Amino acid sequence: MFRRKRSAQDFAEEIKAHLELEADELRQQGLNPEEARYQARREFGSVRAAQERFYLRSRWAWLDRLVRDLRFGIRSLRQSSVFAIATILTLALGIGANTAVFSVMNEVLLKSLPVSDPGRLVYLRTSNPPRGTGTIDTTETFSYSVYDVLRHQAKGFSTVMAYVPLSGDKVAVRFGAQPEEAEGDMVSGAFFSGLGVSLPMGRGFSEEDEVKHASVAVISYNYWTRRFARDPDILGKTLYVSSVPMTIVGVAAQGFEGAEPGGSTDFWIPLQDRKELNAWGNAPDEGKLYIANPTWWCLRLIARLAPGVTRAQALAQVQPIFQAAAFQGLGGSPMQGEKPPVLSLEDAKSFPGYDRMYGNPLRMLMAMVGLVLLIALANVVMLLMARNAARQREFSVRQALGAGRAELFRQLVTESLILVSAGGALAWGFAEMATRVLGNWAQIESSLAPDRTVLLFTFGVLIVAGLLFGLAPLRIALAGGAEAALRTSAAASNTDLGKSRMARLIVALQLTLCVVLLVGAGLLIRTLRNLENTPLGMRVEGLVVFGLKPNVRTVPEGIAFYQNLMGKLRVLPAVESVTIMASRLGSGWSDNSAMMVDGRIPDIPNGASDTVRSNVVGPAFFTTLGVPVLAGRDFADSDTATSPPVGIVNEEFAKRFLPGVNPLGHTCGPDKGQFTMTIVGVVKNHKYRSIDEEPIPMAWYMYAQIPVVEPMHVELRVHGDPLAILPAARKVVQQIDPNLPLVQPITQRAQFEKTIARQILFARLAGFFGLLAIVLVATGLYGALAYRVTRRTAEIGVRMALGAARGQVVWMVLKDSLVLTVIGVVFGVPLAFLVGRALSSSLYGVKPLDAASYLLAVIGVAAVALIASIVPATRAANVDPLKALRTE
Amino acid sequence: MPTQENNDDRIALLQGTLDLLILKTLLFGPCHGQGVARSIQRQSEEVLFVDHGSLYLALQRLEDKKWIRAKWGTSENNRKARFYELTARGREQLTEKTEQWNRLTRAMGLILDPTQPPAPEEV
Repeated sequence: MFRRKRSAQDFAEEIKAHLELEADELRQQGLNPEEARYQARREFGSVRAAQERFYLRSRWAWLDRLVRDLRFGIRSLRQSSVFAIATILTLALGIGANTAVFSVMNEVLLKSLPVSDPGRLVYLRTSNPPRGTGTIDTTETFSYSVYDVLRHQAKGFSTVMAYVPLSGDKVAVRFGAQPEEAEGDMVSGAFFSGLGVSLPMGRGFSEEDEVKHASVAVISYNYWTRRFARDPDILGKTLYVSSVPMTIVGVAAQGFEGAEPGGSTDFWIPLQDRKELNAWGNAPDEGKLYIANPTWWCLRLIARLAPGVTRAQALAQVQPIFQAAAFQGLGGSPMQGEKPPVLSLEDAKSFPGYDRMYGNPLRMLMAMVGLVLLIALANVVMLLMARNAARQREFSVRQALGAGRAELFRQLVTESLILVSAGGALAWGFAEMATRVLGNWAQIESSLAPDRTVLLFTFGVLIVAGLLFGLAPLRIALAGGAEAALRTSAAASNTDLGKSRMARLIVALQLTLCVVLLVGAGLLIRTLRNLENTPLGMRVEGLVVFGLKPNVRTVPEGIAFYQNLMGKLRVLPAVESVTIMASRLGSGWSDNSAMMVDGRIPDIPNGASDTVRSNVVGPAFFTTLGVPVLAGRDFADSDTATSPPVGIVNEEFAKRFLPGVNPLGHTCGPDKGQFTMTIVGVVKNHKYRSIDEEPIPMAWYMYAQIPVVEPMHVELRVHGDPLAILPAARKVVQQIDPNLPLVQPITQRAQFEKTIARQILFARLAGFFGLLAIVLVATGLYGALAYRVTRRTAEIGVRMALGAARGQVVWMVLKDSLVLTVIGVVFGVPLAFLVGRALSSSLYGVKPLDAASYLLAVIGVAAVALIASIVPATRAANVDPLKALRTE
Repeated sequence: MPTQENNDDRIALLQGTLDLLILKTLLFGPCHGQGVARSIQRQSEEVLFVDHGSLYLALQRLEDKKWIRAKWGTSENNRKARFYELTARGREQLTEKTEQWNRLTRAMGLILDPTQPPAPEEV
């Protein structure tokens, strides 16, 4: 049976009946009606309390109260909607920025590799490679022979794993008919088992796969999703890698994208031993692949510590083995005076290289958004304080009417909860967007979906904010007490010294933080300017570049291919000149080694490096680039395999290795002395790897004269839009080989700008946060001052009635904010020194103590303070004394 | 402001005993709240004092538990009043609670005055 809940009214009626019955009875006992009624009531006690208890009974009293508080809060916030919107937006920006930066930081710096027990994994590093070797990275890569020795003899490790990309960027693959590109690595047989990466589908590799150089491949979960739409029947299908068929045998665990620094590997194959699949996609060096070449240190190594062995013990055990292995095939021992390389182990817990690449900028960004959040919170607290001070009378009245402190507190917390949750919801949306932008920046291809850590972080911030906002104004709300309701004078109740001191402190703090942020932003923006305006040393406009990986087998075949290609491209309309190069300019790649000069490794005074960057290029290389030839000549078509070998060097090379002589006619060549070239030209220093590099000695070989053919990059100088030539160029290439794609076609300028993309985005973000800080500070300052002036209307009225001039009133108000500005600058500048020092590694062409940045920051802060004060100041001066006094 | 003084011999009810007293009172027939209060006071020779507010809440609680039911009626002196009446479940509860209470008081008695003979069983 369904029974309706009994109404409060019914209950009230019952009590009424009780009182009447009781009174009747008392009357019968002889009391007069008046007294009987009074007695009955007294006996009963508080009717209201009983009714209240009835009302609260069987209800979710707290929920009821919450709903009431929420309604009340929303109503009172709607009354001051400008305040509410300002608060919510401020919070959204502050918290959103923090969440975004934190989620990237979480992803990049805090998360571990998705492998089992990552704490026991280490990257192998060497202090330097032995002399006479070429490397990919001086400290991070090793030769195959070192790997082979270590994995058999290093007992300190349970597993040693090698991995090496099939190409510097992407490698040509084919699945079905269409040629495409993907990032692939050759890895040890123990790669997946040693790292402890699970394979949700299929299998990993085995030692046998490595020994037999098996034609099998494991693809990443991401690649499986992106390219194969999670085809459940993918196992057993064939993936052609550089035209070599590989059978897909497994899909790696979701989130595992290899151990390459900053990259995301699409597929892995066991270490191979065939020309098409040499490490890094290089052509064999004197016919030797990476496996047979002890002078090419190209493999990265990662190892798992043996059970129960500490890192130090492992290193002690492995060190002598490594030092012996390092010279295998290099004469067995160090050359005279050569220091043997020293092995070290680096934490492999987090993603490789991320910390080095993004650690500092991210930490700086985190600090910046932290400051912005601090400013934002201070702003909101100040707004709340101002608002609640204005409501002091409301609070006093409510206290006088019997509202307890707990009740007031609950209401204030509810109001702040409304603000904080609205702000938080907006912040989340904002953070999602910002995270995507930041993710692009960090080139994190794995998903950046906020995980539990990020959620906890944001909730933590929100809760702190909510409590802070509830507590800060409570003091003011209660300070008045019930009796303040009785006071009517604005002048008497409002110029409480303590409160204004609090507000002043907050404003001063904000101005301090603002100076710091502006200096940081200024330094980074000047860095950005410098990077963008750095002369490259060439005419970069009108240049377009693309890569080719022709299917050629012999050196003469390769030379013929490129000769033919250049000849065809040269006659295209709009093409001014054409050349080719082995390492693409502005790609960050370079070939580094010591070089023979006049038949020997040069002695360099005062310990400067003997490293030379070299490149293999085609005819008219410098003419095409627009690099001035200072002495001698450019390469020409007449430099052929049969003519005397020639080389060209840059100014820095001449200065360091051939000081004080005319370099023309001297010789240079690789440090192993395989061949020697006569220097026929000296060119001006220009940028090679990246925009922010310092000049370094460089030497160029003519491609037709050295016995290597590599995939080359074609550089075209054209009239008009450089990219417009690409369709025509593609047609030319396809006439020669229909299966040949243009690899990464891009203008040369864009290619160079890629090298500073990270710095650019960092500087832009820093600038944005600086701007955000300024806006927040300005609105906060304006709000605080305007509020103070309003509160002092009566006082100003009195002053003006007593004869104060308008100027004096304006000055009175301005002086206030000027003092605060001075305080902000005095504390902010030394703090900014510290920040500048911390930033120094991210700066380019700017000193951490850059005077202009500091000056601009100070001026900026002062201007904001001034502008924010002018309006309230003039308003104060326009106060009509009579009106002001009448507000009493 | 006048304050209440506790200068009589009345005892405030122990937590949880009010329900039992109400059920027992209603055993003798339907009654309204005021009657229940009076009855408790009178039966206890004015020793037990029932807070009226609590009484009505207790009545409501018992009604919610379906131990008693209520309907509006007219009192002997023609006043409108809400009459309460025991349900079957209420009777069961009364028996059970009385047993509990007797066990409790006997135990208390044994401890407070061990010379006393055990109290006879009663319902």
